[in-house]
Amino acid sequence: MKKKAIAILLSAVTAISMIGCAGAAAPAAPAAPAAEEAAPAEEAAPAEEEAAPESIGSSVEGELSVTIWDEGQRPGLQQIVDEWSEQSGVKATIQVVDWNYYWTLLEAGATGGELPDVFWMHSNVAQKYMENDQLLDLTDKIAASDKIDMANYYEGIVKLYQSDGKQYAVPKDIDTIALWYNKTIFDEMGVPYPDDTWTWDDFAANAKKLTNDDHWGYAIAPGNNQEGYYNTIYSMGGYVISDDKKTSGMDDPNTIKAMKLFTDMIADGSCPDLATVSETAPNELLCAGKVAMSINGSWMLAGYRDNEYAAANCDVAVLPFTSTPDDRVSIYNGLGWAAAANTKNPEAAWSLIEYLGSKEAQLKQAELGVTMSAYMGTSDAWVNSVSCFDLNGHMKMLDAKLVFRPYSRDTTVWEDMMIEKLQECWTDASKTEDVCKDIAAEMNADLAEE
Amino acid sequence: MKKKASSRQKSEFLWGWLFILPTMIGLIVLNIYPMIDTIKQSFYKTGDFGKGSKFVGLANYQKVFGDAEVWQALGNTAKYAIVEVPFSIVIALLLAVLLNKKLKGRDVFRTVFFLPMVVAPAAIAMVWKWLYNSNFGLINNIFNIKVNWISDPKIAIYSIAVIGIWSVLGYNMVLFLAGLQEVPRDYYEAASLDGANGWQQLINITIPLISPTIFFVIVTRVIAAMQVFDVIYMLIDLNNPAWKKTESLVFLFYKYSFEQSKKGYGATVVVLLLAVILILTVIQLIGQKKWVHYE
Repeated sequence: MKKKAIAILLSAVTAISMIGCAGAAAPAAPAAPAAEEAAPAEEAAPAEEEAAPESIGSSVEGELSVTIWDEGQRPGLQQIVDEWSEQSGVKATIQVVDWNYYWTLLEAGATGGELPDVFWMHSNVAQKYMENDQLLDLTDKIAASDKIDMANYYEGIVKLYQSDGKQYAVPKDIDTIALWYNKTIFDEMGVPYPDDTWTWDDFAANAKKLTNDDHWGYAIAPGNNQEGYYNTIYSMGGYVISDDKKTSGMDDPNTIKAMKLFTDMIADGSCPDLATVSETAPNELLCAGKVAMSINGSWMLAGYRDNEYAAANCDVAVLPFTSTPDDRVSIYNGLGWAAAANTKNPEAAWSLIEYLGSKEAQLKQAELGVTMSAYMGTSDAWVNSVSCFDLNGHMKMLDAKLVFRPYSRDTTVWEDMMIEKLQECWTDASKTEDVCKDIAAEMNADLAEE
Repeated sequence: MKKKASSRQKSEFLWGWLFILPTMIGLIVLNIYPMIDTIKQSFYKTGDFGKGSKFVGLANYQKVFGDAEVWQALGNTAKYAIVEVPFSIVIALLLAVLLNKKLKGRDVFRTVFFLPMVVAPAAIAMVWKWLYNSNFGLINNIFNIKVNWISDPKIAIYSIAVIGIWSVLGYNMVLFLAGLQEVPRDYYEAASLDGANGWQQLINITIPLISPTIFFVIVTRVIAAMQVFDVIYMLIDLNNPAWKKTESLVFLFYKYSFEQSKKGYGATVVVLLLAVILILTVIQLIGQKKWVHYE
């Protein structure tokens, strides 16, 4: 009897692990014969559904496979893609692969020559994919098109997907950074809501006023670069990487000044310590009512909208400036729609990308609240896509000084190094200058290797 | 007569191979070929998308031996294994002995202890991440303490080892239970007639008699513990001050191979791990002669 129970249990486990291997999100049905022991099977089934996807999708003739990494954007984008299908008569399905798996699988797909027809590109890796001829060259097609003109899109995003004078992707969207804040905490502490008159010094002073035993004024982790110190660095006249991508600007006096602003705030207690932000991200702290302010990108909108507490208590304003409103900076980035170089349907893939980049589809993307669009002047409708926040905070950042997110060929190598090293001045603000200089030296060495 | 036997031998030979063929193909395609390819790659500097790889001889190995991060990771992995393996075995053995007796609700306990084994590691890590949270976590709030379980570089690796112990307890227990079924009851009867208590029975009868099972569990657990990755990956991120003190060798392999696309160097790290595991296993195989009793 004992042996039998164990045997049943084991066979149930084996059956479950086989479901996992098959990658099918099938319910626990195959394990059902193990009647009494079905409980663990039911426990395991939902977890298995989250298991790693096994392929990035591949090109099949006569049908388009489209792969993206953000489930929040899928419903809206599918609607736009369906409209294209009606016109073109070609079926196209969007597959979502989570960000973490996306790049691993895309690289595996590129190595094995099995890429989806159309997919998202990102600044972190674009250069590598373009240099290795993995992406379809769109230069001639764009020149011949009456719908697409690269002059209509934000320049940094266009340039990002260029290599050797060729264009490999059509800009999809643009993001801006803004100051999210908790109205309830501001009311409680009697501090007026942030507006476009705030300087970074006001920001630090108010963060201090907003701090008490229950909550902090602001929270930042060493990894909050685009959603944090990068904006301040460029606003104060510093830089992270030179225009020719050869030297680091982390040892620039203005860069160090910007970093000091944050490390001093951590030291005086207006920001939580490193341990706290390493375990609970600043945006989670905002959603829990533990911090009054958090600097976030517009891509976080869905997360805040779907969080009951944030929807009821939070709002968003523009970022502070340094000395005049002209030096208000938003570090921006934008995805691009790219096609695989070896797609079996180059004509259809281009036709879809052309449609997605057209003014019509870009307007629609903003209207549906998917994201702000890369086509200049089409994003106004995005402001009304959500009723619980005044999205003008993000929208008006488009009028600020837009600086493209610092990148080079191997961005992650020096960016990860920077995050690791910054931990030291998060715990000891007096070391900020030394740490920044140390980062600059190592970053220069990394850039020399590229 | 002789001819007939030979034809039978032939047919047995043929069928024998036929039956193990599926397993053989699986092993070769999924294990042996990738292993050889990994070793091969460790001599190359990988180009983008696997194209244009360059043979660099032993350069990767020279770099590994001089890389402080690799040694730190090896140390972290060893710390993890030293805690996880003995505790998970001792506790599982005691549980198995206990649950081998006639006990009310025994099957329920067995299932409960086995459950962590069935749950996806990612889900386990998420739950523990919240238990351990220094500000809002259950553990600190119940005991009203302030311990940075997973962000204090000194203790984070041990906190992770606790999760490891909890996760494999059930699996080890099932193996020990299977071993216990083989121990004849008469030995215990004889021992209790001679006045041996429960503890003495455990030390002098149970452990020697199931020593082959214990040996098997130790060998497989050491191998698995040296390959720890998923819990660390889910629990610790770049912002965490304990990052450097919890990075395991497989984590480093993942970082180089997949995050930074340096597959050649990643392969070298994993070959180093293979060598370490091989040495540990050989030592155990030699050592077993002293304490494992096969009947």
